[in-house]
Amino acid sequence: MTDDIEKKVYRGRIKVPYKHTAGAYVEKFITEIGKNNKIYGVRCPKCGEVYVPPKMVCFKCFEKMEEWVELGNQGTITGFTVITHSTPVMPLDPPFAYARIRLDGADSDFVHIINEGDPNKLEVGARVAAVFKEKPRKRILDIEYFKLV
Amino acid sequence: MSRKKKGDIFEIKWKTNLPYRWSIGKLAVKFFEELKENKKILGSKCPKCKKVHFPPRAVCAECLVKMTLDDMVELPPRGTLEGFTVVNYPFTDPSTGGIRPFPYGYAIFKLDGADTYTMHFVNETDASKMKIGQRVEAVFNDELVGDLVADIPYFRIVEDEKEGD
Amino acid sequence: MTKHQTAIVGIGQTKFRSKRRDVNIPEMIYEAVRMALDDAQLEPKDIDAILIGNMDHFEGINFSEMWTGIDAAPGYLKPVVKVATGGTTGSSLAICGYHNVASGIYDKVLVIGWEKLNEGGATTGIITAFDPVWERPSLAGALGPLALMAGMYSAKYGITPEQAAKVTVKNRSNAANNPFAHLQMPDITIDYVMSSQVISYPLRLHDCCPQSEGACALIYANETEVKKITDNPAWFHAVETAHYYTFGTDDKMYDLPTATIASKKAYKKAGIKDPINDLDVAEIYEPTSWSELSWTEALGFCKPGEGGKLLDEGITQMSGELPVNPSGGVLSTNPIGATAMVRVAEAATQIMDRGEKRQVPDVERALAMGFGGSLWTELMILGKEPMR
Repeated sequence: MTDDIEKKVYRGRIKVPYKHTAGAYVEKFITEIGKNNKIYGVRCPKCGEVYVPPKMVCFKCFEKMEEWVELGNQGTITGFTVITHSTPVMPLDPPFAYARIRLDGADSDFVHIINEGDPNKLEVGARVAAVFKEKPRKRILDIEYFKLV
Repeated sequence: MSRKKKGDIFEIKWKTNLPYRWSIGKLAVKFFEELKENKKILGSKCPKCKKVHFPPRAVCAECLVKMTLDDMVELPPRGTLEGFTVVNYPFTDPSTGGIRPFPYGYAIFKLDGADTYTMHFVNETDASKMKIGQRVEAVFNDELVGDLVADIPYFRIVEDEKEGD
Repeated sequence: MTKHQTAIVGIGQTKFRSKRRDVNIPEMIYEAVRMALDDAQLEPKDIDAILIGNMDHFEGINFSEMWTGIDAAPGYLKPVVKVATGGTTGSSLAICGYHNVASGIYDKVLVIGWEKLNEGGATTGIITAFDPVWERPSLAGALGPLALMAGMYSAKYGITPEQAAKVTVKNRSNAANNPFAHLQMPDITIDYVMSSQVISYPLRLHDCCPQSEGACALIYANETEVKKITDNPAWFHAVETAHYYTFGTDDKMYDLPTATIASKKAYKKAGIKDPINDLDVAEIYEPTSWSELSWTEALGFCKPGEGGKLLDEGITQMSGELPVNPSGGVLSTNPIGATAMVRVAEAATQIMDRGEKRQVPDVERALAMGFGGSLWTELMILGKEPMR
């Protein structure tokens, strides 16, 4: 059976190296996390919404955002799911939670991980706080995870 | 916008490594079977316009008519050079993720009896030794596995023959 | 369905560079979009629909419109559609924009082409566009087949490498007049081109286009809206598309047959009998210097085989009867998803008499060409007055 299928398919790979320019907004965001353990958002001059992670344009108003706002390193869970299966690339050992977190001061949700795998201990509305990595590597996981407080 | 100094660049580097299993279709399955078992090269002939296609395929683009296994025809492993080049610059081969070895000879020719052209490797890296009109012949690997480049790694220029001989 | 007269009313281009390390993808596109909106003096809410395009495998972002249509363009809660057709991406976008407005479905459409080529690699990305079983193992991106074409063209008609080098000299010195062009070389000589390394016989390094990063945006409007926006638009007279076989090698690879077919139809639609006299400027898509000579023949500017003679006689120089590529062409600037659209933007700029140093005098009609895929051709003819 397998031989039969093998004849009918051509096995190939796509292996391409990429180098993405992150841009000034991402660079400042990641640097503040790594160097100062601070999380920043940006505020739209027109509608006043604060977005995190920060980006250049408010998509609702199509305005350039230049006002940086320091957010608290704590927030509230607005949604979550618990990962129990294992794949080769995992930020934490399962079980752990993916969550949408409304950081204090922000108007958009921030997606990250929580080091809690028991769904009974998690709920929408629960408070979490960022735990920063000892040696930052200029990645989003320089916030290693959020923990329940 | 001020130019960033080299040390300031924040680049995110990553490499894809995506596996695929492409279904190749009945005519291609037959092509590779014949290549592996009998060292034969097959094309497909449109039942309507009679155009002989190489590589073989299921649909004639001009007529939009289907070609089946019964429409496959044998082609000789020989052709005439229509164009040639020697690729002499480094680039990443997406199938391997590494740089494809260069320089390599690359040519376009029609297999005798085919109505479409073929592009494939040739074993000459000196452009001055190639000329449009030269005869080329497929060089088969000793062990055939049913893969185009593994089984026919390149075509060789047949030195003493010219088209019309 | 009646056809509406359609015109370009706003143009935006970024200054094209080899690497834009100061911005990420949506930030780069935003520059062109902002420029086009400011040019047309329109608000983001005035745009009815957006068409955006690039070739995903160059950046490795396989659903780019999700990110770029919203963060870089006023696409929030509006129709946003991606068009990706290889080298013709920019011209396909330009033609789709025309279809959307001429059909009466939308009044004002924003069309964006972009590429951040050096985040991946052009040759590597192009190889993944082709058949994995039959073509990928030997294909050398676009330059391999273009080299084969140049060799076949040269052998058939006796075109020399010096004649091809003249094209690079013309285009890259023209580019010195274009503030947006990537490679601007006012003092380039034939010796400079001829002394560059042969990277794929017979193509020398300077016979080939660069890899650029940047974006181009155009705003289209129908005749009712044009009246409210500007008294100096560039009107569409004819659009034509000709696509070819699956494998580029299925038919002859020299003498670009799709350009001959498309140009005959487009000229008929626009009432053009003699391109040299009836057109005032042409922005054609020349990935190599040899290609420009061959395409001028295929487009009917001269007889087959006489492309070299046409250039030698000066007809396609800035001072000639039909200047070709006053912007510098693809040999000077090549951000693949935007390249063909830049041809349209530059043709429109010429019609609107806004070319400044690169302006050709008295432009009434312009031709813009896109080329790519497996030898596809797309053509647009623009005019100062609406077509009657």
